[in-house]
Parts: sequence; structure tokens; C-alpha cells
Amino acid sequence: MKYCLMQLGCQMNQSDGERVRTVLEGLGYTQTEDEDEASLLGVVSCSVRQKAIDKVYAKIHKWNLAKHQRSLLTFVTGCMLPADRVKFLKLFDLVFPINELPQLPDLIRQYGVPTPAGIDAAVPGDSLADSARGFWHIRPTYASGFEAYVPIQNGCDKFCTFCAVPYTRGREVSRPSEEILAEVESLVERGYASITLLGQNVNSYGLDKRGSEMPFARLLGEIGEIGKRSGREFWVYFTSPHPRDMTDEVLETIASYPHLAKQIHLPVQSGDDKVLIRMNRNYRMEQYRTVVQSVRSLLPTATLFTDIIVGFTGESVEQFEKTRSALREFRYNMAYIAMYSPRPGAASARWNDDVAHEEKKRRLHELSAELQAISLERNREMVGQSYRVLVSGRDRLAGHLSARTEGKIIVRFPSEDESLIGRFVDVRISDAAEMSVAGELIATREPALSFRVER
Amino acid sequence: MEIIGTSKRTSVKGLTHRVHEVRPLSLTAYVLRIDRDGLEFEPGQYVNVGPHDSIAMREYSIYSGKDDDFLEVLIKEVEGGLVSRALKGCRPGDPVSVEGPFGFFVTDGDERAEGSYLFIASGTGISPFHCLVRSYPGMDYSVLHGVRTLSERYERESFDAARYVSCVSREEGGDYSGRVTQYLRDHPVDPTSLCYLCGNCDMIYEAFDILRSQGVPGSHLFAEVYF
Repeated sequence: MKYCLMQLGCQMNQSDGERVRTVLEGLGYTQTEDEDEASLLGVVSCSVRQKAIDKVYAKIHKWNLAKHQRSLLTFVTGCMLPADRVKFLKLFDLVFPINELPQLPDLIRQYGVPTPAGIDAAVPGDSLADSARGFWHIRPTYASGFEAYVPIQNGCDKFCTFCAVPYTRGREVSRPSEEILAEVESLVERGYASITLLGQNVNSYGLDKRGSEMPFARLLGEIGEIGKRSGREFWVYFTSPHPRDMTDEVLETIASYPHLAKQIHLPVQSGDDKVLIRMNRNYRMEQYRTVVQSVRSLLPTATLFTDIIVGFTGESVEQFEKTRSALREFRYNMAYIAMYSPRPGAASARWNDDVAHEEKKRRLHELSAELQAISLERNREMVGQSYRVLVSGRDRLAGHLSARTEGKIIVRFPSEDESLIGRFVDVRISDAAEMSVAGELIATREPALSFRVER
Repeated sequence: MEIIGTSKRTSVKGLTHRVHEVRPLSLTAYVLRIDRDGLEFEPGQYVNVGPHDSIAMREYSIYSGKDDDFLEVLIKEVEGGLVSRALKGCRPGDPVSVEGPFGFFVTDGDERAEGSYLFIASGTGISPFHCLVRSYPGMDYSVLHGVRTLSERYERESFDAARYVSCVSREEGGDYSGRVTQYLRDHPVDPTSLCYLCGNCDMIYEAFDILRSQGVPGSHLFAEVYF
């Protein structure tokens, strides 16, 4: 029995897909990339953009036609807007929210597919919390042998007007900390070098269970302690945080533990207060500036990344210029800049998308050019210095490997030794480009001296 | 470091509540009163409400006080609006779906003891201020309520008459004749006031600029936009 899984969307969806794989492979299915040889076809859906949803409709139309030729079972899970979910019920054999993944074996059995007994990840109870717990109990089949994503929270309560996540994933639910810590510890023991904690508002972890669950800063501290005890070298990241929940306590905790990576992703979205109001971001630039100042003073070596939307509904040229000023002021190492497009289900999708496409493109290009100049400037500051990096794979440039620093700056260096992939090495930076740097391998010692722990 | 307010929140309910009454306030506006059913909230927050068994829900600021036995939301019937029309047709005992509370349009306990609040609303944007004043009767506040007609001064008697100013733009008879933003230009605010703005986006944008030009710092400006 073979299955083919189409995964769409963000890191959270990729992480969800890893758990879907575990369940299916536990049922005796093996994965194939060839839809034609699969008897089970599934989608981990994304509703962030209409394009992704269109892909799902195109795919199920094709799969339903294929049912005339052979026996097939289809399912869809992941991010679904209520309206799409209603339509999917008529098109797919199985439709379920991701937190009901533990019930998938039963659902498949009900379709008469013989499956081995014993794969039952469900936990007793039928509440939302119990359902989520069951999902998180499933051990994921990690796609990488050295990088792992660990979901710590699902859903979102922030209701940014450009985003549909609260309507597709529901409200924020924090995963029990003991499960997170157990998964992290297990990854560390297995030698994982990079662990990313995932959530829509990862730093509001625990706020939905005040008094009964630890806050995000303490969770990070506990993970830092795992690092200390392990004596192993690894970096822990988290994404994506919301500026209003980024506290000094979180930053101080990161500063206290070498395993907590000195890299902060702080989505600003716009540099204009009124656009931020319209986006329902719940902070002003004054407050955002204060957070950045804290990052700079508490984590002086940290790199700073951000997300920006240009051409949001009603954004004037003057307001866009304030975003450009913010980019210059905060000198981000990296910014993920997107042209605004209405996302089905989000509040802003009901408004007039009144910034012309060409104007959005202009703003995107101008901001990208600014970013490249700033990034080049910052990367030049690295030249001549040595950095510990994690080798992530072969580079596009022949005879080179690609790696990244603790601050997620991409480093390319000449080497054909693929045994280094997934390992930490030391490089000396010799040249800087706009979005990356080049270096030379100077040592492959492991672990780094800086990670040796006093016992 | 401090970000606007605090992240106050209680558990999210996703439950069916029963309707007590639909109280008309004008031809199009009404208050929907439902069972509180143990739902805890911070004054200023909102809930999602929708007809029972419907996928459609809308966000409404809570109108009733934190100590009331019931939960109320102020709703304006929107032409062609699925939810606002369906809820208006509810009868006592009918079920409705409620999720929440959500939002950060809340006040800080320390600031309430010492601060002076200026609440600026347009239309049904008065709702969270009704909740705040009902919940914290001792707070030092002033309300500017921008409306087009006199009938939109929903239950204004809930506010201390000396602290409430209606700015009526299309009829005579209000406390001020004209838009709320014009009132702000004519009557500069004390820059130390904590200014809370709720209502349509255009009013908030304009008021925001006026208040900043009058010296109110961004950290004293809080906004909840109604869409």
C-alpha cells in the first residue's frame, strides 16, 4: 500500500505533514512521490493564498476522475476555511482538522482498508484540548536528520486583519510543556543540530493556560537547561513571534543559554502606525522600537529578521516611506517582503484592494533594493572573522557546501566533503554578497570550544 | 520594556449560549443579551457571535459589564449582513454560538487608579466604553461619541451626563454639532490623557493624526477598528 502526500504552505504545515507520515507509515503505507501508484492520496492544505486552495481543487478533481480507473481513498487536512471545508466534504473521502489526526486510522478502517492494529494515537476524551494532545503525541517522521521543527502551539488569537489563520487553525492552544521538553530532549539525544519551535505566535505560548502552564521564557530556559545537561552542540530557534509578546524576560533567557540561538525574527509588517492599526497589529512603532532596543542591548550579537507587507489596503506612498525608514533604522539582516494580496477569509479580503499591482511591485522592488544594500553592509562587517556554522547541504555553486551561522546568515565555502552536512564546522569569512557570505573552512572540530560544558 | 496594555485573557469558550432578549435601540441597532454562562472577560474585549450551527460569525465588542449576570453585545444591522440580520431575528431561548473573549483593547489596573481616560467612539464603537464605564464606575473618563443622528446616541444615560459629549453631524440637538474629529480640533486634549479610539477606520485615522499633533504620545493611543 502506498500513499502520496501533497504538502502546501508554511513550516507549520510541513511539521504537520511529518506527523501525518508517521500515522500512515504506522498503518503499513509506504510513501511514493508518484500519485499513479498510490492508493491513498492526501493533502495538507493551506488557506493563506487563493493559489494554494486552487491547487487543492485542481488536485481533487483529477483524483476523483482517477477513481473511475482504480480504487482510491482521498483525504484533506491542514488549514481550511469553514467555507472550503464544507465544499471539501463533498469532494474528498475524508476531511478532518489536523488535531484529529489520531483518528485517521479509524477513519481509514471505516472505509474497509485493512490496517494493522495497534496504531492508535488517540487519547481518551473528546474535548478540543484532548484532541490537540492526541495529535501532539504522534511522533513525527522528521524530514531531515539534523534539523527538526517542534510545534509548541496551534492556532492564533491575534486576528491581524490580513491573515486567516484564526479562522483556519482556530484559537491558540499551547502544547503541554512536558511533551515539548521530551521531544526536544529526544532530538538532542539523537544528535539534531537545529531545532525550531513553531507556533503562529510562538512567544504567546502558555498565555491560554495562565497559571497551569509555564510562560514562553521559562520554556526556553528549560530547553537551555537540556542543552547544558547534554554537553552537545545545537541551536534552538523559534518562529514566529509577535512583537507585543516579546518581553525582556524572553530576551534575557536567550542571553543566558548558549544553545538558544541569537537570532530574532520580529515581524514589523509596516513602519506606519495607522497602517498597523488597520492591520490590527496592536503595537505602535514606539513600542516596536523599544523591543528592538532591548534586543540590541540584551543580545548584542543577535541578527534581526522581519516580515513586511507592502501595498496593504489603503497604504499611501507616505506610509510606505515610513516602512522604508523603519528598514533603514533597524538595519535588518533579512526581511521577508511580500506584496499584499487579499487572503480569503481574512478581514481585509472584504476591503477594496486599492493599491495597484504595478505600484505594489514598485514598492517591493524599492524595499528589496534597500534590504540588499543594508544586508551587504552588514555582511561586510563579517569579513575576516571566524564563525561557527551548521552545514546544511550542497551549494548551487559546484564544489561548494552551503551552511548558516547561528544568526542564520548563509555561508558558502569550497568543499566537496558531504560528510560535513548536518555538522558544525568553523569558517573564516572572506567575502560578502548581498544576501550571503563566502568563506573558507578552517576547522571541523566538534564540539566547539564554546559549547564545552563544565561538569 | 512595555507593550500596550497587558495580555489579559481567560479561557476561550466555544459554546452555545441562550438568548435572553433582543433590545432595539434604533431602527437598525439593537442589543443582544444572552446567557453569560461563566464567560470571563476583560472590559474592552470582544467575542465572536453567530447563529447556532452556522459557519458565519462576527466580532462584537462586549457591551455589558464585567459583573453582570448576562452578556450583551451591541449590533448594527448591516444591509445584506448574514449574521447581524439572523441575530436580530432571535427569540428568547434561541441558541447562538459564542467564542472568545479576544482582543487587547483593555485598561491597566494601575492606570485606572491614577489616569484620566478619553474615550472617542463613532457609532456602535461606543460599545466597549459602555462596558468599561459599567465595569469600573470609579474611573476618571470623558466620552466623545460621534454619530450622524440623535437616535444613534445609544443608551447615553448609561454615562455620566457631565462626562458625555455627543457630536451629531446630520441633525441638530446634540451636545456638539459636527463630527467628532472637528470637536477634537476645536477642543485640544490634555496630552497626558489615555486616549482610546473605537469605531470606523476613517475616524480613527483622522483622530489619531489630530491627537498626535496635539502632543499625545503614541503610547497613550489605543485603537479598536470596526470593519
